[in-house]
Amino acid sequence: MDSLDNTSWDVVITGTGLPQSLLALSLSRSGKQILHIDRNDYYGGDEAALSLSEAEQWVKKHGGDASENADSAYSHATISHSEAQEEGAKKLGFSRAYSLALTPHLIYARSNLLPAVVSSRTHSQLEFQAVGSWFTVTAPPDGSSSQSRLTRVPSGREDVFRDDSLDLRAKRSLMKFLRFVASYDEESEQQRMKQLKSLPLSVALKQHFGLSSATAVAPLLALALPTVSEAETTMEFAVPRIACHLRSIGMFGPGFSAVLPKWGGLAEIAQVACRACAVGGGVYVLGQGVKNATHAEDTGDSKLRLELTGGEKVLAEWLVGCPRDMPSTISTHNMSRAASAEYMTKSISIVSSPLTSLFPPTAEGGVIPAGAVVWVESASSSSRSVRILVHSSESGECPASQCVLYASLRGDPSYLDIAVQHLLESLAERPKPEVLWRMQYRHHAEAEQPRNTTTSENVVTLQPLSTDIVLEDDVLTSAEQAWRKIMGDGAAEFMKFESREGVDEDE
Amino acid sequence: MQSHGIPRVAATTLDKSEQARNKERKQIIQYQALERDVVDRVKAKDYSDTTFQLTSQLLTQNPEYYTIWNYRRLVLQHVSARELAADEEPSEQDAAAANKAGLPPAQHEVLLLIKEDLQFLIPLLKQYPKCYWIWNHRSWLLGTATKHLPAHSAVTLWQAELGLVSKMLGLDSRNFHGWGYRREVVLAIERLSSNGDGEKGSGSGNMVESEYAYTTKMIQSNLSNFSAWHYRSQLIPRLLSSRSADTNARQEFLNAEFELITRALYTDPYDQSLWFYHQYLMATLNPANAQALPVLEPCGRVEHARYLEREIGSVREMLEGAEDCKYIYQALLEYSGRYLEVEAEGGEVALGEMRGWLRELRGIDPLREGRWRDLERKMGL
Repeated sequence: MDSLDNTSWDVVITGTGLPQSLLALSLSRSGKQILHIDRNDYYGGDEAALSLSEAEQWVKKHGGDASENADSAYSHATISHSEAQEEGAKKLGFSRAYSLALTPHLIYARSNLLPAVVSSRTHSQLEFQAVGSWFTVTAPPDGSSSQSRLTRVPSGREDVFRDDSLDLRAKRSLMKFLRFVASYDEESEQQRMKQLKSLPLSVALKQHFGLSSATAVAPLLALALPTVSEAETTMEFAVPRIACHLRSIGMFGPGFSAVLPKWGGLAEIAQVACRACAVGGGVYVLGQGVKNATHAEDTGDSKLRLELTGGEKVLAEWLVGCPRDMPSTISTHNMSRAASAEYMTKSISIVSSPLTSLFPPTAEGGVIPAGAVVWVESASSSSRSVRILVHSSESGECPASQCVLYASLRGDPSYLDIAVQHLLESLAERPKPEVLWRMQYRHHAEAEQPRNTTTSENVVTLQPLSTDIVLEDDVLTSAEQAWRKIMGDGAAEFMKFESREGVDEDE
Repeated sequence: MQSHGIPRVAATTLDKSEQARNKERKQIIQYQALERDVVDRVKAKDYSDTTFQLTSQLLTQNPEYYTIWNYRRLVLQHVSARELAADEEPSEQDAAAANKAGLPPAQHEVLLLIKEDLQFLIPLLKQYPKCYWIWNHRSWLLGTATKHLPAHSAVTLWQAELGLVSKMLGLDSRNFHGWGYRREVVLAIERLSSNGDGEKGSGSGNMVESEYAYTTKMIQSNLSNFSAWHYRSQLIPRLLSSRSADTNARQEFLNAEFELITRALYTDPYDQSLWFYHQYLMATLNPANAQALPVLEPCGRVEHARYLEREIGSVREMLEGAEDCKYIYQALLEYSGRYLEVEAEGGEVALGEMRGWLRELRGIDPLREGRWRDLERKMGL
């Protein structure tokens, strides 16, 4: 294709992660000249999904410590394979049979992303699977020979009714708490919520709802999925999270509250979004980032002069991207790693068994889910727990007869692998499922910085995804804010499109 | 207006642009012509296939028009009577097919007619699951099959109906048409499978155990299911006699049912359907209640008093943590009243306590003040 040198654009978007791709989608019918670039040679940016060989390359690139990866969200990446490769032993499939998500997220049915996917007419290109059951794993005390125990989390009234581990009192109290959570933001409960909000969840449950047994508290913690320890998990954090789960159950079908996009999670949504923008005239170039950006005083208008990593010089009215993709000359992004001590340690493990016991049907005659959530309890209330998202081969991320475990833990990684082993033990499968291949890395949060303040009016910063595993509504609202700024008075309705002529849709 | 969460679109919300009105005018003219045609034909006793097809068209547009269902049945009756009385030789094809089905050709023809009509009904039923006339016509078709066909053919059709009704109840577990139809289907299957021995006890067609298990399944997937709880209550007397349950077995059974409903009530005391079932269980102990067959044998005053004591105690405990639940107070008052009738000197409840419950009830549900005043007077509080 012709060189980009000396071209002029309405909008230059840097990075093809989810926030940037959603913006590209929102602009896909605007008629604006859009150049969408990514410094990697793959789509998806920080949310990319990788084949095995792509993962190996990625790990090489991000293997160093934080200072060597100053402009990346990731560092400390390592890979390990299992030893046994004898005949007949479970083996890895070929590289392209895998599509491993760097940041798998839970997309609750109530999320604002899903209606936008529908109204922007991209839903027909995406396949969503159910994330069905939630579990807790309780590890045996040190030195004990007993096994880790897997328990299913009750997710509604009928589950509570059937749960034999809860006595009558506990059932009553748990229902009472769930009823409170379901209406926590309504006027009738606002006073109460105000009183309770800074209490740790476990304390509030004991003192105000009569729930102190571990069998009742652990499932509620699992539904809240905190990154901090039990003692630090407040009502203020936990109640809205549990409410989101309760309010999402049954929205798309009985027995599940969240979905996952097939074939690689958020990366799939990003790709579909970019495709829509390309159909609308957007130009896509991989392997290029923005090296430098200055104001062009001589053109009279307030355009930006951008220099790409390949040396090309382009003009743009708007430059949009996430902080790490922005050149330092124009963004206030703090490059110092010291400022961002927060990181999540994450691992991706490919397991030699389909772990079918984690994927029971969502309801009588309901769908078979492709995702499950496991909360591995920590040793004490002052240490952190591990969250594991389990994806079956139905998610398109691995071959049949295997599954993928995505584990995350804030800070120190030593418990991460132990937690995965506890989960595999607790399933009581014989032969015990093995981890065939494992990758580990650190995911750094954005350093705290004021939103959208830049040295130029024409530079818009999008909020990147958090290191958490729940997709926040903020991601879409950040894209909407950027869209509004760029569209100005010409703005119609955000993400609301008619279906294109000639494009078949299964309604 | 929503029914069980499934929205119904009112006709008045349709688009009323000029274009839409013209289209609607044309549709009305077509419909009226179709209607006139069918009525004229039936008046002239024209029971041809054309008439039949016209009723299909009309009913697909308006399944609530029950007269047309009657006309359709007239046609079907006419055709089946003709088939069954036929003297002419069937074609080779027809004879072969009938042979395969194990039926004489004439009856096979009737079976095909019925099957085709059952097929015709399915999309209509899915679209209008609460239309009496569709369920009714289905019932009629199955009845015709039972009348004209040997038991083994008819029972196959009825068993397919059981599958269909389970699916419909899966879509909407609170559709009472479905539950009523299910009872009819079960009855028919049992009759046709009982081999005329009349013994419902141990006949191979006795479905009471599987139906009881079905209600358990439905309750577990949705506690608030009046129909499932009601059906369960209807099955219990037959279930126990079919098991030849003795005194001990009956006691165990009743205790297990109380345990189940208590567990449900602790989970959700605000659900009225659960209280109805608890009341039913209590009613079986009351010899004065003719509608609830006794479960226990014997069931005299002693047993009645004992259970009342136990349940009043149990319900009293439910108050803790659910002080705002009016159903609990209502149950306590009802059972206390009965207890005092049975055991006037019984120490389980005191009038003072009962007055306290009534006071709570008035506070929680002030709109029904008249009813509570009535209750107060009746109970002499």
